[in-house]
Amino acid sequence: MTLRCGIMQAIKALGSSAPNTVLSVLKKGAFAPVANQIRQTHLPAPKPNEQRPYSPFQDASNMAELAVARLDDLLNWGRKGSIWPMTFGLACCAVEMMHIAAPRYDMDRYGVVFRASPRQSDVMIVAGTLTNKMAPALRKVYDQMPDPRWVISMGSCANGGGYYHYSYSVVRGCDRIVPVDIYVPGCPPTAEALLYGILQLQKKVKRMKSVQIWYRK
Amino acid sequence: MSVAKLLALDKVAKLFNIIKQNGGIRASLYKLYKQEELKDGVLVGEDKFGNKYYENPRYFYSRNRWVEYSEKVHLNYDASQVPAEWYGWLHYKTDLPPHQDPSRPHYKWMAEFTENLSGTTGQYTPYSTTRAKIEPWVPKPKTGA
Amino acid sequence: MLRQPLSRALALTSPTRAAPLAARRFAEQVQARPDNVEVFIDDQPVYVPPGTTVLQAAAQVGVEIPRFCYHERLAVAGNCRMCLVEVEKSPKPVAACAMPVMKGMRVKTNSDLTRKAREGVMEFLLVNHPLDCPICDQGGECDLQDQSMAFGSDKSRFTDIHFSGKRAVEDKDVGPLIKTIMTRCIHCTRCIRFASEVAGVDDFGTTGRGTDMQVGTYVEKMFLSELSGNIIDLCPVGALTSKPYSFAARPWETRRIDSVDVLDPLGSNIVVATRTNEVLRILPRTNEEINEEWLADKSRFACDGLKRQRLVTPMMADSRGNLTPCEWEDAIVAAARALRDCPPDKLVAVSGDLADAESLVALKDLLNKLGSENTCTEQYFPLEGSGIDFRSSYLLNTKIANVEEADFVLLIGTNVRFEAPLLNARIRKAFIHKETDVALVGPKVDLTYDYMHVGDSASIVKDLATGTSAHEVLKRLESAKRPVVILGADQLKTQEGSALLAYTQELALRLQDKLQDKNWKVLNVLQRTASQVAALDIGYKPGVGKVLEAGPKVVYLLGADAGVVTRESLPKDAVVIYQGHHGDVGAQAADIVLPGAAYTEKRATYVNAEGRAQQTLVAVTPPGKAREDWKIIRALSEVVGERLPYDNLDEVRTRMSEISPALVSYGDVQDNNYFAQARALAQSLQKPVSGKLDVQLKTLEDYFMTDSISRASPTMAKCVQAVLKQKQSPY
Repeated sequence: MTLRCGIMQAIKALGSSAPNTVLSVLKKGAFAPVANQIRQTHLPAPKPNEQRPYSPFQDASNMAELAVARLDDLLNWGRKGSIWPMTFGLACCAVEMMHIAAPRYDMDRYGVVFRASPRQSDVMIVAGTLTNKMAPALRKVYDQMPDPRWVISMGSCANGGGYYHYSYSVVRGCDRIVPVDIYVPGCPPTAEALLYGILQLQKKVKRMKSVQIWYRK
Repeated sequence: MSVAKLLALDKVAKLFNIIKQNGGIRASLYKLYKQEELKDGVLVGEDKFGNKYYENPRYFYSRNRWVEYSEKVHLNYDASQVPAEWYGWLHYKTDLPPHQDPSRPHYKWMAEFTENLSGTTGQYTPYSTTRAKIEPWVPKPKTGA
Repeated sequence: MLRQPLSRALALTSPTRAAPLAARRFAEQVQARPDNVEVFIDDQPVYVPPGTTVLQAAAQVGVEIPRFCYHERLAVAGNCRMCLVEVEKSPKPVAACAMPVMKGMRVKTNSDLTRKAREGVMEFLLVNHPLDCPICDQGGECDLQDQSMAFGSDKSRFTDIHFSGKRAVEDKDVGPLIKTIMTRCIHCTRCIRFASEVAGVDDFGTTGRGTDMQVGTYVEKMFLSELSGNIIDLCPVGALTSKPYSFAARPWETRRIDSVDVLDPLGSNIVVATRTNEVLRILPRTNEEINEEWLADKSRFACDGLKRQRLVTPMMADSRGNLTPCEWEDAIVAAARALRDCPPDKLVAVSGDLADAESLVALKDLLNKLGSENTCTEQYFPLEGSGIDFRSSYLLNTKIANVEEADFVLLIGTNVRFEAPLLNARIRKAFIHKETDVALVGPKVDLTYDYMHVGDSASIVKDLATGTSAHEVLKRLESAKRPVVILGADQLKTQEGSALLAYTQELALRLQDKLQDKNWKVLNVLQRTASQVAALDIGYKPGVGKVLEAGPKVVYLLGADAGVVTRESLPKDAVVIYQGHHGDVGAQAADIVLPGAAYTEKRATYVNAEGRAQQTLVAVTPPGKAREDWKIIRALSEVVGERLPYDNLDEVRTRMSEISPALVSYGDVQDNNYFAQARALAQSLQKPVSGKLDVQLKTLEDYFMTDSISRASPTMAKCVQAVLKQKQSPY
């Protein structure tokens, strides 16, 4: 499971030069902007045996920063504990998505409850092949979701077109339509894999700095 | 069938036993907070990261082996922190834990296990392997200057 | 003099083919027109002049008759038989392309007999044609495919399932541009006719007859022509396809964008075929006034140079003088600081071969705001006399299309064949169809047609101008009804340039005054680059010699890659800013590199050698961090603190129209006058000249790599090698 929102943003920030030229630029030593971006938006890689505190925000230098960091922790705790997905079951992946709602995997224990309206949901799980015909509808639904909103792309087809990559009628990855936070690989991914994806999204939500950014402004 | 069993007192006894095994009421509550589950079992082994592996055949299959993550990671535990050698035992691929299984291969070239580093600076960054459409110009380095 | 190939001479001599153009202003009006004859195409009456073919008459009423061998711009061959139609009272179907109309002729293009004839011809063609459409590059744009769908039979009588009897022909090697799969050939002979009539290279021909007939070059030989790519377009099947484009894309996958070529001064109209933001190939677009439907090889095949050696990120010299990639912000700020700190008289801008009018205007405005008047071009042009004040002194005043009407062409110090291949094709067309004679002052070169070589000394021009020459050419010029004098702009670089120009003006004007046709222009100056005319229109000073002697402190190179400005010619502490799209001579000498867009990546104006403004369109986006050129200069002006008053392309073009309305009247070309005034001003410059005229591009291998795009192109490099290899060959 690759949580690569950060790198995607970094690549987008690079503009039209990416991603074709990334490798060549890397060779030329001009990869610095991307690396910097990752350094700014990502946590440092943990060492296997170090103590890991609950909060990712540990570098407060004064009391005010400490306060907003804790406020962020509180906000993120609330958010990650009630991620309501907008279902977007498009194909066979949707069957696996149903499984995580069933008792064996039981997504409700993480506060993940399917919500059939985009207006009240936090995350969209794109489960299955996104066809050209469905793409406008998907984007419309995404646009109707309130901020903050996330997207989980589930399965090969949603990640990059998958089996239907060369089809005339399939979008080659739903990240061409909406910004994706979590990519769940598999064809289809098991319910466990999707559950792990949701847990990864929780981790990502935990890193959000909404109040801190507001404070810095 | 004894009276105690009829009144389900053995279950109550089991609960007290579990609490006792987990180190008292405070420790049990902490464990519940951390992993939302309270079980008793035999400690089968511990890996180098400090994760502890338990087994209790009384629970039904697929719930009778479990891991309690290291204290160090606190609430930041993640399924990918189970190293490869314990993965097989935990998922019933083998009944022998790594320290009891002499037939496991050990080679010098085997990489050190890492957990999933997505979202950190250690993450895997994909790059394009296709031919670049544009070949950029590389300036000739100036000599002497 | 039998100038036409035998096939052409034996075929019908139709006046409409020699001059089939609607845009003909100098047509022979005096010639009496015989009455039109009435013919009936599918019972529709149509009036056409006698000598018109049935096929042309049918085209006039919108009836398309299928054909393979017939082509409007080539001689009639009549050998494919696809255009068979039924004519009433004729015992057999007749070939429409070769049959002249007769009074009251009734043609049936859709009768049972016609359809049966077509099906039969189609069947014969397909007997020996391989069924490899799925791997054939012509697939999707193949006449044979289309016509077998439209006119072929719906069932097959082909029983040779073991393919024992199908003809197979060995492939020929005709160079790095054209891929041949001769088994697919249907012997339409279009390529042979093009080679001998238009390109002037009699290398192609047929050997054998019947099943053994083969199209080829007799001996293994490269097709040594600068127009060779056109036979790819002409070939109705996949026998001749483009080698660089082979197996690259299908025509329905590509996006086609109309544009203008900038690799030669003529500004040929092109179509850029792109897919997924990548230029795949360049095809000609019909424009009767410039390139007809041909395209020169450099324009067509140098497009792979757009993908190599590109500047994709701004660069700045580090402490050791090596260029290192940086952000736009840093580069712009550094460039702005250099411009601001420089005394105005030490600030110089030099524009190069491929600069567009928008960026030229923006750069000149910026420099003028900073107080500098030192904007110049790389190509020189004499400033003495009228200089560049009159547009007529630096343009092709006759116009490209009208060169066909000329009856005598005098070339002075120019190898038209390589400097402007399609202008040479026009001259050759006039030479063949109009009995036009050509004379050349300059080194002896192969122009693909016979010419009178007058010599290579500059004094000949003086003798001709003053009327003291004893050479036959002078007599011919004076007796010509429509003479054309073409002077190569390269000759003006030297000390004697101004005198040479003055004599040429004198000669041309003397001839022009005597003409009956008062609208005919004689004087032509053939520029070498696509940007030069626009730069002179805008007011750039030609040549960098003087400003470099003054020791500039900041030099702004706008795509200047001709190597005129070198580090050695500048003071040691001079800052060189290079803006352009290719890493070439200019970028290597620079301290700050600003990546711009190539001609396929921006909407930009170019003015061709005859003064016709045309615009390119955006076919692909500029690579990496490169941006459109005028926008870079506009952004720079903001940082310098001298904001340029335009924010979008329309406003830039409004500014251009203030400078010269000709720059934005797209597609139009205006007639130039003020010849007399220029001549008067040039009188005093008629000093004796003694030098010899020499041209830069002498042979085919010189032609392929002349600018930063074609120098970066591997295809062009292969061409040069192939030509050199061909020279070693005994044939």
